[in-house]
Amino acid sequence: MTRRSLTTISTLLRRELWESPVAFMWTPLGIALLILAFVVFSLILGGRFDAEMAYTSDMLKMLAEQPDQQRRLIVSGMLFWISAIFFQLMLLIILFYLAGSLFDDRKDRSILFWKSLPVSDCMTVASKLAAACLLVPALFFLAIVLTHLVLLLIATGYSLVAGVNPWTTIWAPATLPRLWSVMLLGLVVQAVWLLPVYAWLLFCSSWAPRLPLLIAIAIPAGLALTQHAWTLITRFGLPEFNIGLIMLKRLGSGTLPMSANVQFDGGFDSIEFSDELFMSFSTTLGHLAKLETWVGVAIALVLLWGAVWFRRRATDG
Amino acid sequence: MNPTIKARNLRRHFGRTRALDGIDLDIPAGRIVGLIGPNGAGKTTALKAILGLSSYEGELSVLGLDPARQRDRLMEQVCFIADVAVLPRWARVGRIIDLTERLHPRFSRERCMHFLKNSKVRLDSRIRALSKGMVVQLHLALVMAIDARLLVLDEPTLGLDILFRKQFYSSLLNEYFDEERTILITTHQVEEVEHILTDLIFIRDGQLILNSSMDEVHERYVELMVRADQAEEARRLGPLHERVLFGRHIFLFDRPDDERVEALGELHKPSVADLFVALMGNEAQSGQERAA
Repeated sequence: MTRRSLTTISTLLRRELWESPVAFMWTPLGIALLILAFVVFSLILGGRFDAEMAYTSDMLKMLAEQPDQQRRLIVSGMLFWISAIFFQLMLLIILFYLAGSLFDDRKDRSILFWKSLPVSDCMTVASKLAAACLLVPALFFLAIVLTHLVLLLIATGYSLVAGVNPWTTIWAPATLPRLWSVMLLGLVVQAVWLLPVYAWLLFCSSWAPRLPLLIAIAIPAGLALTQHAWTLITRFGLPEFNIGLIMLKRLGSGTLPMSANVQFDGGFDSIEFSDELFMSFSTTLGHLAKLETWVGVAIALVLLWGAVWFRRRATDG
Repeated sequence: MNPTIKARNLRRHFGRTRALDGIDLDIPAGRIVGLIGPNGAGKTTALKAILGLSSYEGELSVLGLDPARQRDRLMEQVCFIADVAVLPRWARVGRIIDLTERLHPRFSRERCMHFLKNSKVRLDSRIRALSKGMVVQLHLALVMAIDARLLVLDEPTLGLDILFRKQFYSSLLNEYFDEERTILITTHQVEEVEHILTDLIFIRDGQLILNSSMDEVHERYVELMVRADQAEEARRLGPLHERVLFGRHIFLFDRPDDERVEALGELHKPSVADLFVALMGNEAQSGQERAA
């Protein structure tokens, strides 16, 4: 990659940020503020019933007396659980963003302005994908880091009042470096895992005459329904190679870096509750070793090529 | 030197309609070319092919590049304004300028600000808050701030008031144009551009009806104004077109026999608009006659 194309892609990413500031910046910041407001509100409300903060202090003292492993599970688990709220909304935002990304400028004809710039169609599509895979996760991650730090600072204040060592009770069990780096890795792996979904949305966005999101949902849904109807009529059963289920599983198991680590096949009994459940590099990386991940990437490449092909012809006729 | 635009047998059809029906073009550098035609004549189709915005059949090279395959490289040296102002509505003026500056290696912010100086466009306004005319002013400023070798303007002054239109064409001619550059304009307001054009192309039904320099046009076509009683005599000399104005008959001749024509009345250079009506209207009429 030359320096020029690096400038181009970074400028195009900036453009995406300027175009959707509400979705990309204000939403993660808004969730962070909402969570913090909720926490502060509960603490204030709690303070009215718990005048000496005896209950809160007791909780912190109890936490301080737990064994290491248990403290880690509680503190980092809570932080992880809070970040899950961000990830849910992030995925929703990415899906909506991608469905409109190559459609909106066709609709309002500003595509003619973008095409008047020396930027190839391939680069344009790449910038939309990079926004979905890197830019949006990075911004949400920053909001998560901010929320974590403020929550831990609030907890530090309370533990000082309770006479508990904030470092050993809260900061050390939070294992922030590990938590954050697993989360970052999880975001990257998630992007690879969901690449076929992202590419499908870009593909539909590139040619759909209207309502790209609806079309992007209707086609696979129609396909799955047809398959089900067919096997039901011909063999009175469910299909073995179940297209609908494969697609739902892909989307469902990719919602959070956390959920990807839990294998529900063995039932809940087989799950051992520890911080390994959500903070493991190996299970996260394990997704990259799966064949189905790379089959998905191959499908994504074909769809992206299709998106570029339609983009090139978007001003034609 | 290579011509700026070179086309051989350029074709494009939509279903049975032939939007471009085998066009040959050679436009060298340093020309201002007017591409004039009625609605649906193929103007926009031709411009889109030249700008790499649509597919075509036949041979086409613009600045030595193949527009269909190398649009991104072509756009470093070519800039265009499409028939409607289409800047992204969500953006702020300052950001559009920032983006263009970062993405276009030949864009000059100084020149852009210079062209915007006399307009009411403010850097912090959103495009959607600007009037239609102001969007066009901004777009023209952006485009003229690019040091391009080919500038394509498709109805550039649509929706602008007459003051700005005059000002635009004068800065186009005095500050922008030089012998290295080529400007290709389509417009319905022919009177406004005819004195800045060096070349004139008439297009209809995807075919070129006229393709020559303005000098040739002025040498070739003559308008003759005669009194009503001499009209019959003028008709015998085989005019292309006849119209009546205040009781006088005006005939348009292609390479007339000077002495015989001159003897009948006053001679004028026809305006591009009159020439357009004569050449395009006439054939349409004769076509109808043939059909009848």
